[in-house]
Amino acid sequence: MRIALQEDLNRLQADVQNEGELVLRSLRGAVNALRTRDLELADEVIAFDDEVDGLYFSIAEGIYTLLARQTPVAIDLRVVLATLHINLHLERMADYCVTISKLTKLVAGVEPDEDLVHGFDEMGTRAEEMIRVALASFESRDLDGATSLVDLDEFIDRANRRVLKHVLELGGDEDQREWGLRMIIVSRCLERIGDHAVDIGEQTAYLVTGEFREFTDATHDDTPDRPA
Amino acid sequence: MPATDTVGPIAPIEIAQRERQPSPIQRSVVFDVRDLSVHYGKSQAIKDVSLEIYGNMVTALIGPSGCGKSTFIRCLNRMNDLIPEARVEGEILYHDQNLYGAGVDAVAVRRWIGMVFQKPNPFPKSIYDNVAWGPRVHGMRKGLDDRVERALRQAALWDEVKNRLKRSAVALSGGQQQRLCIARALAVEPDVLLLDEPASALDPIATSAIEDLIHELKSEYTIVIVTHNMQQAARVADMTAFFSLDVHDDGSRTGVLVEYDETPKIFTQPADSRTEGYVTGRFG
Repeated sequence: MRIALQEDLNRLQADVQNEGELVLRSLRGAVNALRTRDLELADEVIAFDDEVDGLYFSIAEGIYTLLARQTPVAIDLRVVLATLHINLHLERMADYCVTISKLTKLVAGVEPDEDLVHGFDEMGTRAEEMIRVALASFESRDLDGATSLVDLDEFIDRANRRVLKHVLELGGDEDQREWGLRMIIVSRCLERIGDHAVDIGEQTAYLVTGEFREFTDATHDDTPDRPA
Repeated sequence: MPATDTVGPIAPIEIAQRERQPSPIQRSVVFDVRDLSVHYGKSQAIKDVSLEIYGNMVTALIGPSGCGKSTFIRCLNRMNDLIPEARVEGEILYHDQNLYGAGVDAVAVRRWIGMVFQKPNPFPKSIYDNVAWGPRVHGMRKGLDDRVERALRQAALWDEVKNRLKRSAVALSGGQQQRLCIARALAVEPDVLLLDEPASALDPIATSAIEDLIHELKSEYTIVIVTHNMQQAARVADMTAFFSLDVHDDGSRTGVLVEYDETPKIFTQPADSRTEGYVTGRFG
């Protein structure tokens, strides 16, 4: 039953789950630092990215070696290819957390708008839930769970649109406007984290069905701010 | 990981104390081969091969036909002594002892360093007697039944043969015969197992069983395997040695060691272009 291959596949998948845990910690830290204007925590999130990157490279190398040594086929090959993509999506999510933390530091001196901060808290919570659903669906090969990410993503997208609207209403104060512009990027980062979770769901669907397909067709979507 | 509706209280982020990559496992050198050359009569089979073989690892020897990999592995338990015109030069230190030193008993060497060949070669005796043969020869008669069972279990054959131990070994399938030969080699509790093309006469399923077995056995034994099947080396080996041929002006050929490294390195980024040519199938 190819014990060595199975061991390698199990290790890769466990590593991806661990990477997901690191990303969750990073996301929690980034949102928390933003909410409480905790610059020390923001710095920790930025430094913490090295941990994610380390695991990212180690997973990528594991995949590279596995492909060279074990020549996986069929379901084994799909696991490896899905893992390759998921690894990248998780690493990107952590990068967004870094961006949020850097922006947090840039606007530290400005009194934040409470409604928006509350909105980010909600977006962060939803993004966190999406990451959990994405990883659990991958682990249990749960196609329904993976597909449900599209609906979950809609909540974040809506919140993102609310942020945009709110920032436009911030008024004439220059500091507030600068803060608002930076917060548009924060909002966008959280929204993108959700998109990457959906992409992980697509990889699970590929793993289960053997077919590549996008859950949503961004190029033919009417929603103006859905990323292409 | 369970999906949760809420994240609960937001814990402060901790800087992960993720364990760094462990330092390379302390490698114990089992064989230290120095400038090994072998001649058969006037022709030189291998020239100046030097490498270290490490304990509890699988070391694969790969390379084209005639590159001397079988000659090399046969030197490791003095099997070439049985070929009258073979001449071995250089040194093979086995746990710091010269295998070819004066006073070293080749039979004792083969008790510690067992060998399994390409073609399964069970004796025309019962399954039990095949496995018990080595222990009997070496006077290990105490607890023979247990010893036979343990060897057959280690060779992943016990469940298939436990009810017919007195039946002829020759009636077993090819794959079973090969695992029987491995059990026979293990029955004397060797330190090293040399496998010379152990799966090349077997079908893919039997081959897979042998490869799983090798993977399991390396925790207890040092394993050296010669294989024509490059992918097999990639799958089972921790270290891989690539042998090739130097062709001389007079048309004679000599086997040389081109590259020896950790298997992932050999199959992802070999240092020598000849290795790259061989593993990518662009050889010759």
